[in-house]
Parts: sequence; C-alpha cells; structure tokens
Amino acid sequence: MNVCDLIKKYDGKTVVDTVSFTIPKGKVLSLIGPNGAGKSTVMGMISRLIAKDSGVIRFEGKDIGKWKSRELAKKLAILTQHNNVQMKLTVRELVAFGRFPYSGSRLTKEDEKMIDQAISYMELEDFQDRFIDELSGGQRQRAYIAMVIAQDTEYVLLDEPTNNLDIYHASNMMRTVRKLCDELGKTVILVLHEINYAAFYSDYICAFVDGKIAKFGTVEEVVTKENLSEIYKVDFEIIEINNKPLSVYY
Amino acid sequence: MVKSKTYRGYGKIFFGLTALVLAASAAYLLVDSKMYNPRLFEFALKLRIPTLLVMMIAAFAIGGASIVFQSIINNRIVTPCLLGMNSMYSLVHTAVVFFVGSGSVIAVNTNLSFAIDLVIMGITATFIYGYLFQKTNHNVLYVLLIGTVLSSFFGSIQSTLVRVMDPNEYDTLLVSLVADFNNVNSGIILFSLLLLAALVFFLRKDLALLDVITLGKDQAINLGVDYDRTVRRLLLGVVLCIAVATAMVGPVSFLGLIIANIARQMLKTYRHIWLIAGAALVGMAAIIAGQLIMEHVFSFAVPISTFITIGGGIYFLYLLLFKKGEC
Amino acid sequence: MIRRIYGKSWFSTAILAGLLLVVSFVSLFVGVVDIDINTLLTDRNAREFEIFLLSRIPRLLAILCTGTGMSVAGLIMQQLCMNKFVSPTTGATISSAQFGILLSLIFMPNASMWGRTLFSFTMSICGTWIFVWFIQKIQFKDAVLVPLVGIMFGNVIGGVTNFLAYKFEVTQQLSSFLVGSFALVIKGNYELVYLAAPLVVLAFIYANHFNIVGMGKDFAGNLGVNYKLVLFLGLTIAAMITASVVTVVGAISYIGLLVPNIVAMFRGDKIRGTLVDTALFGALFVLVADMIARTVIMPYELPIELIIGIVGSILFIGLLLYKLKNGRKAIRLGRKERNCHG
Repeated sequence: MNVCDLIKKYDGKTVVDTVSFTIPKGKVLSLIGPNGAGKSTVMGMISRLIAKDSGVIRFEGKDIGKWKSRELAKKLAILTQHNNVQMKLTVRELVAFGRFPYSGSRLTKEDEKMIDQAISYMELEDFQDRFIDELSGGQRQRAYIAMVIAQDTEYVLLDEPTNNLDIYHASNMMRTVRKLCDELGKTVILVLHEINYAAFYSDYICAFVDGKIAKFGTVEEVVTKENLSEIYKVDFEIIEINNKPLSVYY
Repeated sequence: MVKSKTYRGYGKIFFGLTALVLAASAAYLLVDSKMYNPRLFEFALKLRIPTLLVMMIAAFAIGGASIVFQSIINNRIVTPCLLGMNSMYSLVHTAVVFFVGSGSVIAVNTNLSFAIDLVIMGITATFIYGYLFQKTNHNVLYVLLIGTVLSSFFGSIQSTLVRVMDPNEYDTLLVSLVADFNNVNSGIILFSLLLLAALVFFLRKDLALLDVITLGKDQAINLGVDYDRTVRRLLLGVVLCIAVATAMVGPVSFLGLIIANIARQMLKTYRHIWLIAGAALVGMAAIIAGQLIMEHVFSFAVPISTFITIGGGIYFLYLLLFKKGEC
Repeated sequence: MIRRIYGKSWFSTAILAGLLLVVSFVSLFVGVVDIDINTLLTDRNAREFEIFLLSRIPRLLAILCTGTGMSVAGLIMQQLCMNKFVSPTTGATISSAQFGILLSLIFMPNASMWGRTLFSFTMSICGTWIFVWFIQKIQFKDAVLVPLVGIMFGNVIGGVTNFLAYKFEVTQQLSSFLVGSFALVIKGNYELVYLAAPLVVLAFIYANHFNIVGMGKDFAGNLGVNYKLVLFLGLTIAAMITASVVTVVGAISYIGLLVPNIVAMFRGDKIRGTLVDTALFGALFVLVADMIARTVIMPYELPIELIIGIVGSILFIGLLLYKLKNGRKAIRLGRKERNCHG
C-alpha cells in the first residue's frame, strides 16, 4: 500500500500537506507526532473514512476509491477511538459483525468458527455473552480487537488503541498488536501518543509535524535525541532497554 | 446454546404481543356492537374495520420509522415526530390545498392529493433534516432542540395558512384538513398499504444494513457499508412512513418514542427486523386499547393524543434526565 | 474611554426609543377603519375618535406592555439561571399560567379578570419556581438541555391542561388564552396588562442584584446578597409579568427568549445597561409583528402569536446554529462538545 501527495484541508487550513509514504508489509508501523499534526486524518484517509482532497492512495495496485467498499472491508480493518455503541449488544454479537463483509447478516459455520477463534484469541470466552456496555474499558477494547480479528484482514489500522487505558491494559494492548503482526502475519498501522510504546513495539515509525512527514524509518533511525527534540520541541534523553531506544522527557 | 435460548424468549414475547393485539382488535370490533341485530352489527363493523386498519397501519409506520430513525442517529430519545416531521406533513398537506384551492380535483381526490403530498414531503424533508444533521454535526441535543422549534414553526405556518384560507370558520377547515384518532382518514388505506409494502421491499437491503449502522459511522464503513447512501435511503423511508401515519391519524408526537423504547426494552436485541416488528405490535396494542377505552369509557370526550402527550412527555423527561448513558 | 462607552450606549437607546415612537404613532392609523388625523383633531364626537379611544390606543398600550414585559421577564430569567436559553416559553412559565387560567375556568366560571389573574399568577409562579429549582438541582452539563427540558415540561403541563379542558368542556373558552392575539383588546378588558409597567420598574431597581445572583451563589454570598431571596423575587417578578400578559392577550412565545439574546449580542451582559434597550426592542418587535398580523389578510387579522411563532422560530434556530458554531466565544454555553458518552 502506498500513499502519494495526500492533501486534506479543513476550512481552508491545510491539515495534511503532500504526504507520501509506503506502508511496509507484514510490519508494525506507528504514526506519531504532536497534537494536530494530522496523523489521525492520514489514518482516516487511508481507511476511506475521511475523503481526501487530492493525492493518490494505492492499495494492492488499485486506487482506494475504486475498491468496492465491501471488498476493501475484507482486506483492511480500522478501529477508531470513538466506539460508543448505544444498542444492547453482547460481545459475541459484536465480534460476529466482523464477518459482515463476508456473509452479511447470515452467518455460516465457517463464520462461527472464525468468531470462536477471535474470541479465544483475545481471551474473551468468559465475557462473550455479556453486554458490551457492561464491560470495563480494557475489556471493551479487547472485544473490538476481537471483532477486527474476526474480520480477518491483512491490514489492521488502529487509531490510538491505548487511549483511556491504564498502564496494565495499555501494555497488554501493545503486546496484542505485536502478536497480530508476528503470529497472524498482519500489517498493523497505529496512531500513538506514547512514543515509548511506539519505539518498543513497532518496526517502523512515521513522525508527523504540521501535516507533513518529519521522519520516516525504522525505530532506531527515528527515535534519536535530535529527531524527537525537533519533532516535539522538548528536550529528550534516549536510553536503551532490551536493545530498544526508549525516550525520557520532562 | 445461549443464543437459541434468547430467541425462544423473543418467541414468547412476540406470541404475547400478537395475542394482545388480536384481543384488543376483537374487543374493539365487538364491544357494544349490537351483535343481536345483524344490520346494526354490520353497520358497526363497516365503521370500525377501516378505523382498526388505519390504526394498525399507523402503528406500524410510526413504530418502524422511530426504530430506524433512532438507529440512524444512534440515540434512543430522538424520534422523527419529536423533530417535527409530522407537523411538517400537516403543513405540506395544508399548503397543497392552499395553493390549488380546496375545490380543485387535486384536493378532492384523497389519493391524488396524498401522492402529491408524499412527493413534496419526501423532497423537502430529506433536504431539511439532512441539512440539520450536517449543520449540527449530529450533536443530538441541538438536533432535538432545533427539531422541537421546527415543529412549532411548521405548526405556526400551517395555522396561518388555514386562517388565511378561511378566517371565519377556522376550526371546521382545520378539522377537515388534519386527521385525528376520532376522525381517521380511511380513504387512503389501500394506497398506504401498497406504499409501505413497496418501502419494505425496496429498503430490505438497507434495513439489513441497519444492524451494522448501529455500530456507528466509522465501524459501518469499516465493515464495507456504503454509509451515506444507505442512510439517505433509510431517511427517505422514515419520512414517507411518518407522512403515511400523519395523513391517517394526525400528528401524535410522542407515540413513536414510547413504543420504540418499550420494544427495545422488551427485546433487548440489536436485530432490527425484530425491533421493528416489536415496535409495530406494541404500537398496535397501545393505540387500539387506548382508542377502545377512549370510545367506551370517556365516550369520545378526550382524544387519545392528549394522554400520549402527557405520558410521552414525562417519559421523555425521564429518559433525558436519568438515562443519560443511553442518550 | 468610559465616557465613550456610555455615549455609545445612550445612542442605541435613543435610536430605539425614537424608532418606537414613530412606529407606535404609525400603528395607531393602521386598521380596518381609515382614520384621518384631521378628523381626530377637529371632531371629538366622530365615530373615528371613539374607535381611536376604545380600540387603537388600548391596543397600542397593550402591545407596548406585552413587548416590554415579556422581554424583561426573559432577561431576568436568563440572568438568574445563568443560561441564555431560559425564558417564559422555555421555562414552563407560559404553560403554567395557562394552567392557572384553566383552573379558574373550572372552579370559578364567573370570575372576573382579576380572579383569573390571581389563579394564573399563583400557578405561573409555582411552575417557574419548580422548574428553576429542578434545573438548579440537576446541574446540566450542556446549556441546551435546559430549554429542552423546559419545553417538554411545558408540553406536559399543556397536555394536562388540554385533558382537563376536554373533561370539563371548557376548551372553547380556554382557546383564546392559548394563542396570543391583540384582536380582543378593547377598553375595559385589558387594563391588567399595565401591571407589567411597575414590575419592569421594580426589575430595573433590582437589576444589579439580579446580575450578582447570576454570577453564582458563592459570588452573591461574598458580596452580602441574599441569594435565595433575590432569586425567588426575580423569578416571581418574571412569572407575574408573564401571567398578566397571558391572561389578557394569551400566550406569546419566543419574545422573552430572543429579544434579550439579540440585545446582548450588541450590548453585552450587564443587565443595567441592557434592560432599557431590551424593553424598547421588545416593544418594537411586538409592535411590528402586530402590524404585520393586522395587515396580511385585511379586513381580518391573524393572531400575533402565529407571526411571532414563524419569525421567532427562524431567529431562534439561527441563534442556535450561530452559538453552535461560535461556542463559548459568543455567549456563555456549557460544554460545546457532545454531552453523551456511551
């Protein structure tokens, strides 16, 4: 999947400015940057949730706008930050929606199997008949991830998956992200605020500043003292833990 | 395993509701119908069967429209009637009569004038409400408040038109223009039935997608739904349903809110087929039983809509104030 | 600097007052019977002179009192509740007053205007108190919830009123109190509306107190103002003005909501400075609406409530969208973003 000269404006203000990059297959890519740098907007555009003003997004060689929405849903899944479902829905029913692009509302045996797998992968067996509005934030997030797994796509896009989670659930979430890539072979793209989660759990990092790509590269290339100070305009120190560059700021 | 149990639960609820509707209908047709005298009986039935049909159709239209609308906007306290769609229909109807004259062919032929109303209503309502949602960015409280104001806005224009048409006999003209439960419009039963059947047929795919739309716009798109198109089609369906109901029994603002929420409460499912059927049955039971009581206990003195307004208003306040989590 | 601001404020007040005078004068000569000013001055026994005295002048005075009273009532309520969307319409005051009238129709069918007023005073005061007590207790997160609750509360009261009216068969008599109209205002049956005048003066005297109470309980306590007393006094004044208007001309919505908001856009929120402008502008607004109502379908006339209902709702929706767009900047609003989390 590659992106070329992507531009998005809101009320005349350019939020995303000629952004081009290629998403490395089978890896975890994190989009980082200060607030309002345009990371979520880019994520929205590559997942067709937000219409682009100009530029090209090519997915498997075909422009994303030319894909049938239903077909694309079998290849690419996105989970946004705001998922407030008003209706009484059990965890299992939610996960079952992941099979919608394949079978519509009528589930086949195959679908049921995929749903079971997704639920057990996220260790939600005990909750599967609970209503999602009765769950804690961490459990709910896991239920949504299970749905994305059931959707069985090659690409998974997550917009701030650790938002509103405590440290325990957030790091669990990041481990799951790693597993999605390593065990299930998915390409995962994340928007993250926590630089250290990005540094520790992803393969590539793309840093945005003011709607433009400031740095793009492997974790080691991007997470350096100079780069981070430039991006965030705050002093950073880098220390190495488990061969990963982690940052300290204050 | 668990699933089948829940479905059996629905079965029971639906059986109960259907029985209730049948019992209410039978009572409505038979109570005080002078069965001992075949001719009087026949006469009573002739009057009552169309009214019964009208009430059933209206209940289905209002219940279905309310459920669909709530799911589109993802909120349980918003129904199309609360946003003034029914007063808009009354206005459209009055305006048509106003501009073509009450004696013209268009106004005299109920089916023809209804068809014209529907076309105008379909276009203007989808435009106005689509604009409203877009402008308020789906902020539910603003949608509600503006809708409430729109409702009185349409009402004021309609009253003005009626008064301009006939300043002397304001009340008589108003009665002949706008239906109510004691004065149902049974001339359009066949038309309405066909229209509703056509709506269900053409929107069957969109209705199936409603289950997914419940998850919110982003999720729906993620799962491959053509969101904007589906919502547009469904909104048009809602508008037409409300037009049918209002044309038949007049404006009843809170009915949809009550029956849709009772159905959601009873069924606790996200499956819209069940929800719509449930809301329709609840609506039928409520209206028929209500009308039965009204005719025989209060002997037509108090219109049923008064009760719906009081009960619905209190219920609305309850939802607004104490069920914030679901709003 | 200060002088400049004062100079400017007097300027707008003077313009409004001048405009009001001119329009008032013109309005006296709008009607089914053409009245020539010469006849008026020369022939004191002419039929025209009688019409003038019995109908035109009372009508003008009633309009002025209504416009002034309703907008001042709205201003007071908005100040006291710290919410720009509270008004006699959106605060259940009007519907409570109608409920009071209904009670008087049921229990004292032969009551005089004054008897009716007593009922309507009591009920409107109670209704407003209950509503305000309620919204203070709940403490809404979003300012828009308040008018929504108020309108629904009013709907419920209206429903009960309707039900009882049907039950006791007084719908016909009640209907004239439901839709505001100046058509029936003639000498002898409207004088009650003058009550609005002393009440507005009272409001002016206590304006600063209302302002202080509007800043909050702690703020008022700090300045040694009795919060509860002033709050209830203010609400009572607003409710009484509304009730007297409803009893004489019937319900007139939106004025109390719109006029103070429009004036505040230009003049800010200091009540002493805006009160006079609000009163003048309110009177002008109603006067113009009444002239439209009188001329659209001559020789008949439309109830003024319909004209104000149409114009008012458009303005109100415009105001809402404006506030939604400009948020806090324009006028104090609660949280702008979505109130409901799943």
